[in-house]
Amino acid sequence: METLLPRVETMVVVFYFGLFAMSFDFISGYTGYLSFGHAAFYGAGAYFVVLASNGKVPALGPNTSFVALLVLAGLVAVVLALLIGAVSFRLSGVYFAMITLGFSQVLYVFVRDWDFVGSNPRDGPAVLERTDPFSIGVPGVDSLNLAIGQLAGDSVEGFLGVLNFSTAEVSYYMVGLVVLVCYFVMQRIIHSPFGRVLIAIRENEERAEAVGYNTFWYKLGAFAVSAFFAAIAGGLFAGFQRSVSPEETFYFLVTGDALLASIIGGFATLAGPLYGWLFDETITEFLSKRGEGGGLLPYLRDHLGEGTLSIEIFNGLTVQEAIDTFLNGHAELYIGVLFVLFVLFVPNGLLGTVRDRVGGPIGKAVADRIWGENR
Amino acid sequence: MTLLEVEDAHTYYGESHILEGVSFEVEAGEVVALIGRNGVGKTTTLRTILQLTPPREGRVRYRGEDVTGRETHEIAEKGVGWIPEGRRIFSQLSVEENVRVAVPEGRNVESAVERAFETFPDLRDHRDRDAGNLSGGQQQMLALSRGLVGDNDLLLVDEPSEGLAPLIVERVAEALAAAADDTTLLLVEQNLPLALDLADRFYVLDNGQVVDEGNADETSADDERLRRYLSA
Repeated sequence: METLLPRVETMVVVFYFGLFAMSFDFISGYTGYLSFGHAAFYGAGAYFVVLASNGKVPALGPNTSFVALLVLAGLVAVVLALLIGAVSFRLSGVYFAMITLGFSQVLYVFVRDWDFVGSNPRDGPAVLERTDPFSIGVPGVDSLNLAIGQLAGDSVEGFLGVLNFSTAEVSYYMVGLVVLVCYFVMQRIIHSPFGRVLIAIRENEERAEAVGYNTFWYKLGAFAVSAFFAAIAGGLFAGFQRSVSPEETFYFLVTGDALLASIIGGFATLAGPLYGWLFDETITEFLSKRGEGGGLLPYLRDHLGEGTLSIEIFNGLTVQEAIDTFLNGHAELYIGVLFVLFVLFVPNGLLGTVRDRVGGPIGKAVADRIWGENR
Repeated sequence: MTLLEVEDAHTYYGESHILEGVSFEVEAGEVVALIGRNGVGKTTTLRTILQLTPPREGRVRYRGEDVTGRETHEIAEKGVGWIPEGRRIFSQLSVEENVRVAVPEGRNVESAVERAFETFPDLRDHRDRDAGNLSGGQQQMLALSRGLVGDNDLLLVDEPSEGLAPLIVERVAEALAAAADDTTLLLVEQNLPLALDLADRFYVLDNGQVVDEGNADETSADDERLRRYLSA
């Protein structure tokens, strides 16, 4: 199993980046407006948490509760989204994608050269002044808080007498809890009358307008909501890693990863992008080196005998060399090929395709199967 | 009372001049048909009224108020409904959700949905299905019901019989006739007998201009005058 499944640390990343990908899907999948600059909100959330933890945000001490920081980061992103959206939603289609991309790249370049964030803005700041850990739980009640992080996180021993969790596992459950709550909130919004209007806009904006909806405000509202959750994802990232860099946050390829996750997982499925990113990370890890959680490569090296490894396949190339050549460090290449195959053959993505098969959301289909359709 | 007045409207798609000075009026309570061949500007006239493609010259007045250049949703809020041609519904919303989104804010949604299902009992049986899975006739019924629950004073109906079997066309015609009791209709229709049957008056469009008008009761579908503009 350890060969096949990703490490717990990777799963924490899957959670918070999956949340970012879901927020990207919230605006791009449901209204049809591709937000190519979505990394700006992820970055704003991540930088806000780090800057606040270094005492650089006015009126916030470096030890402000992490949950409060996440919410504040979300609100900062909402303001940013309203500014960017007010300009960008005057355009549609590819022009909307380009102008949002433009905004995020401007922020990327700005943050890269902004001395205020830290002594070396190109590499990004780390959390230095904060002495409290980044804890998730009920603010003000110590016993209902658990800290996340790779080194500084809590571990739990003897929970309910028998359960022990390492720091990575505590991070897994606590980050997972936040992501789950965020998912339910977004899910609720999608299924509200507001969400129905978003789908109507995607299908035919003119018709939605002719029904009497001021689509501009609906689009702007959806953009703000998705920015809020993108910033929470960024804040979780900053809290878990305790340092951020422009490349991992504001850079346009961060949005690219969310797009990839959405396409693999399924557009307009909300949960799909998280599965898409899980799929992507699982493959990446399976194909990477030992020490990075690699599965396939060490497995083959350990389990193929010396005799097999030294067999010559072709023109002096041994099995050992072939494995090194084709597997070592080429995970991205195979992901790229996989991405092309997905676009061609699974256009609805993983979750979209499964839903088409069972004829609706999976939870509903399972319930119908168990209790019968006419409850 | 004159409900709608289009005065010398010139509308363009990019550089192509589609409406070359269209003028006509619709009185409250009337059913008016716009007839004419394909591509003469009938649908564009409806889009011009809704300001989806605002006229570059000329005026659109609704209840005497100049609405030229306003936002489309403002026109809709004033009570102008639109039943577009082609795929007329939000195909990825369920039947019931399609009706719900059409109910204006502040009105009783449940009673509006109930009213729609009373008018079209077929729809009630399919209320939870995605509207895209309905047959063409059912989709048209749904589109009509959306127009009806909107509490519109003026309903713009684009090609209601297009692509439907004759039997379904009859039911659509009945529904439109019923709708005409409560509201004013501006109807774009190629099916001349149907148009003349439903309408009180008609305007004939050709090459982006109104070339003829008349009283539907006094005109038959075989009229030489009309056939000139309608036969290809």
